[in-house]
Amino acid sequence: MASHAHDDHEPTTTGPKVLATSTVSPKVRTIAVVRPSEQQVSYLAATKAGLGITLKHFAKNLFGRRRTVDQLNKGEHPVPTTAFQKALSVVSPVNDIETIQYPEEKAVYPERFRGLHRLMQRDDGQVRCVACMCCPTVCPAHCITIIPEQSDDNGIEKRPAVFEIDELRCVVCGLCVEACPCDAIRMDSSTHAKPVEERADAVMTKEKLIAVSKENGKNPTSIATQGGVGPNWRERG
Amino acid sequence: MSDATQAPAAPPTTVTLTIDGKTATVPKGTNVLEAAKTVGVEISAFCYHPGLSIAACCRQCLVAVEKNPKLQPSCQQIVGDGMVVHTTDAQSTAARKQMLEFTLVNHPIDCPICDKAGECTLQKHYFEHDNAASRIDTPKVEKPKVVDLGPHIVLDAERCILCTRCIRVCDEVAGQHQLEMKQRGDHEEITTAPGQKLDNPYSLNTVDVCPVGALTSKDFRFTMRAWELDATPSVCQGCATGCNVELHHKNDRVWRLVPRHNPDVNGHWMCDEGRFTYHDLREQRLAVATVGGLPASWDKAVKAAADKLAVPLKDAGSVAVVLSAQGSNEDNYALAKLAAAWKAKLFVTARPDRGDRADGKLRVADVNPNRAGVAAIAADAGDLAALEAGVNTGALRAVVFLGHDLPVSETALRRLRELDCVVALATHERGPVKAAGIALPIAAWTETHGSVTNADGRIQRMHAAVAAPGQAVPGWEAVARLAQATSAKVAWTTARDVWKDMTAAVKPWAGTPWGREVRPLALRFAGSRG
Amino acid sequence: MDWLSNNIYAILDNPALKWLLLIMVMVMPLASLLTWAERRQSAMMQDRLGPNRANIGPIKLKGILHFVADAVKMISKEDFIPGSVHRGLFALAPILAIAPVLIAFAIIPFGPTIYPHSYTSTLDVLGLATDPAAKPFADSIRLQVASFDYGLLFYFAVLSIANYGGVVAGWASYNKWALLGGLRSSSQMMSYEVAMGLSLMGCFLLVGSLEPGFIVANGASSQMSGANPLNWLWLWQFPALILFMTAAIAETKRAPFDIPEGEPEIIGYFVEYSGMRWGLFFLAEFIEIVFISAVIATVFFGGWQVPFLDADGFRVGGYVTEINHQWVSTGGWVLKLPHAAVTALQLGAFGLKVILLAWFQLMIRWTLPRFRADQLMNLGWKVLLPCALGWTMLTALFKLCAIYLGWL
Repeated sequence: MASHAHDDHEPTTTGPKVLATSTVSPKVRTIAVVRPSEQQVSYLAATKAGLGITLKHFAKNLFGRRRTVDQLNKGEHPVPTTAFQKALSVVSPVNDIETIQYPEEKAVYPERFRGLHRLMQRDDGQVRCVACMCCPTVCPAHCITIIPEQSDDNGIEKRPAVFEIDELRCVVCGLCVEACPCDAIRMDSSTHAKPVEERADAVMTKEKLIAVSKENGKNPTSIATQGGVGPNWRERG
Repeated sequence: MSDATQAPAAPPTTVTLTIDGKTATVPKGTNVLEAAKTVGVEISAFCYHPGLSIAACCRQCLVAVEKNPKLQPSCQQIVGDGMVVHTTDAQSTAARKQMLEFTLVNHPIDCPICDKAGECTLQKHYFEHDNAASRIDTPKVEKPKVVDLGPHIVLDAERCILCTRCIRVCDEVAGQHQLEMKQRGDHEEITTAPGQKLDNPYSLNTVDVCPVGALTSKDFRFTMRAWELDATPSVCQGCATGCNVELHHKNDRVWRLVPRHNPDVNGHWMCDEGRFTYHDLREQRLAVATVGGLPASWDKAVKAAADKLAVPLKDAGSVAVVLSAQGSNEDNYALAKLAAAWKAKLFVTARPDRGDRADGKLRVADVNPNRAGVAAIAADAGDLAALEAGVNTGALRAVVFLGHDLPVSETALRRLRELDCVVALATHERGPVKAAGIALPIAAWTETHGSVTNADGRIQRMHAAVAAPGQAVPGWEAVARLAQATSAKVAWTTARDVWKDMTAAVKPWAGTPWGREVRPLALRFAGSRG
Repeated sequence: MDWLSNNIYAILDNPALKWLLLIMVMVMPLASLLTWAERRQSAMMQDRLGPNRANIGPIKLKGILHFVADAVKMISKEDFIPGSVHRGLFALAPILAIAPVLIAFAIIPFGPTIYPHSYTSTLDVLGLATDPAAKPFADSIRLQVASFDYGLLFYFAVLSIANYGGVVAGWASYNKWALLGGLRSSSQMMSYEVAMGLSLMGCFLLVGSLEPGFIVANGASSQMSGANPLNWLWLWQFPALILFMTAAIAETKRAPFDIPEGEPEIIGYFVEYSGMRWGLFFLAEFIEIVFISAVIATVFFGGWQVPFLDADGFRVGGYVTEINHQWVSTGGWVLKLPHAAVTALQLGAFGLKVILLAWFQLMIRWTLPRFRADQLMNLGWKVLLPCALGWTMLTALFKLCAIYLGWL
């Protein structure tokens, strides 16, 4: 919904009957709670009230107009201004339906959305990952598989020979990003794992993970120095 | 540690002192660091190692001793009666923290790449003492990386904190001066001695003792992170010394062997050759039973063996059962008991001695881990020559043997092949196992509970760490299955049953306790090594 | 062919054929559509869109085709039978669930009696009453499968067999949760059957008949035309309407009375069922909705009657006269309509009433939260049952007075 009620309560003028008040903290009170017994309660009144609410929503959503995708994404609820719009809103009010019909319509993800993983690259195009195994260690879903190998580079001797993430197993918790000491793995690709026809297709290989940056228009390099900006470990940015 | 546990009862040989308000009574000659350990006070140190001489060069173990104006390195300070030591006072704490900062000045802090991460003494001390960001903004001193020191070891001189443990290991354990320091100040670095390579048979101990990741094993490098591994105690099967080891394993696969401290057998050390014995566990393994060289189910293979043995078994002297000095006590005892039930002739096979190995330290010529055990189980068994003679003359019509080592002559091997009934209980599909008509797969030493007896007659336990490949079962269980098929009354349900049976039957081992079956311990919670 | 054309009306009046047409043409499509309508309607009530994507090429029909997709899915699903079930009872349970409610439709009059020979002309009501054997009325098709004197009692009797569907499913599944669900189902259905039956007693007393066809044609009183909405029982028996609707919804085992098998949370009696076997339970539920709508429409809302539409046309200001023990509307100002048009309007009215009542049941199902088990029993035994008994006595008292005062 567009807005939520504020947390601060309005002071009530007529409250429940106070039986006792704490001497230590006057806010702590013992009050009499009056609850009608089940036999006294008629479900009919409540049923009528409830039906009224649902009926109102039903009618509004059935006969009303849907908001545009843009309005839905921005959470806007247009208020009629011109006379024509006002007249139209009587016949067919703008309804409350929040659904965005993926894939024809797409929601704009918030900036800090945790989505599909991507592997970062150094300035020379090498993958930033040094196969330190922190992410598979911390991963609660055991979805990351890394097989390390020695690189011929004397500065950063280790790199992943295999780096695979099973996106079906992934629980999108983001702990791998937290754990990474080299800013090599990120989940800021602003997209989600693609639907696949076969389970094996959901396993993102190293090449696929590197390609995610380009596919989603993200900068594949990082300004973080840990893990090295250039080919050499000791170079500072 | 070991010295403290050997505290004699006589009063004059002990010393009483106070460490952080706790009273410690330790033998004379103990250093303060070890004495502190006995009352639960851990003092940080890099260069001190209980198995090596004292260098006192890292200054990480400085403590305050009352009536002493300067801080003392606790590894070098020998305890005195009435001594009062403080390890948590402001002065010594600040000193150790500052020493650690000095140590870290030129350390590259490339823990993500470093193989020692997770079991690194420097990491441990850093989190315990400093735990602060670096104050250094000048470039770090650059030193050689990925230096090939020898056949097994790679040096990263930048990570080195110059504790000289590795130099002392080569000097004192291997007895060969192969490592040295060169340069001075912050340009000081470890290097090989002139004209030398780090190629002594105990060289990998330097990797174990290295408190950081300066020395790494080529064998283990970049395969696994230390915190991913589980450790299970076992015994090295490389030779008759029976060095105590820890199997470090993960994903049902052993990734490395490291020595386990046992003052009576191997101290803190083991040889390089022994460390590599685990490689053999994944090569040419016999994973399914075979009959005539073709895979078969256990039931079929055992039935085929029983069918073929039926005729020879009627003639008591024509069946040979060959024990192996490579096998465990349990497997050999089980097979010996089956032989007794069959009234078959017993023989023992072993790998031939390698005289070049013996060096008077840990390495001995006998490369069989259990020769003494087999000798105790079957004292009157025939040797290989007797077996060869029996096969050649045709007196033996069926052979059941354990293991894949049968170093007999070519003619005997050919005669063996021609025999109608040869049953092998083997871990590997090699040599005579390939020739055997029926081969039954059994679990190797890392895959089952068992024991071996070393050259000194010491029985040592091995614990199951990884799963046996395919349909392999423990050797004693294979024996039990064979016994059931031939209607011999020989059966056990657990390795412990075999042990109980065996310790009751073999005189010198009477009453030896089975001990606790150790479950793997995750190294993630085990702290640092080295 | 001659025989066929000569006997065509007799064939069409065959109960079996009528039942088949009723089920196939009206009930099944409506129940299937309800599976879609329920999801779409609940979505609308909850500010969502609901299922709107099933399509055959470009034909989408706002998602109505979802029921086709569902049917295809359920039929083509694996018919999985767990290992330890009682196979006979396991197969029988879905049939026990769905068969009674289909049978019970036999008593529902879904339209007036049709006189094919008077199709194009206005029905001669007086002539029909005086001489039913005359030529224009020679062949008649009664749009009710079976007209029993014990009418609605047949419904109670048959529907109580549906009880067994749940219990047998729970028992045969060899699953303790399914069994508990079956027990919950049987306890609930037995409790509410009592209230349901008693709640209609007032109606029977007032009308003097158990036969739904008679209730529709006659209304509450013979003094007024059956087409007069004031003569329908909702006015005279409003408490009974509330009681019956409550009990009937409980009989369908749907929210707020879905304790036997609350889909996401409480494991119910059909947990071991899959594919079309499960589909039968599912369909039975929706057919029950249709059936209950039909019963409520018939008893309380004049069935197929269109307000003020008598057999010969719309009538204002008429009166009722007795001819041959039959009450016939006559006099007043009449807009005469051909018999075919009257019939069509009345059939349409019945359909509309059923759809509206089904819609109302869905509204209730998506508005009210589930009762707790003890609340359910309290409501059934301590509220509905006494109220139904009390209302029956009140009605009886009213009728005695009315007879004594000469109103009836």
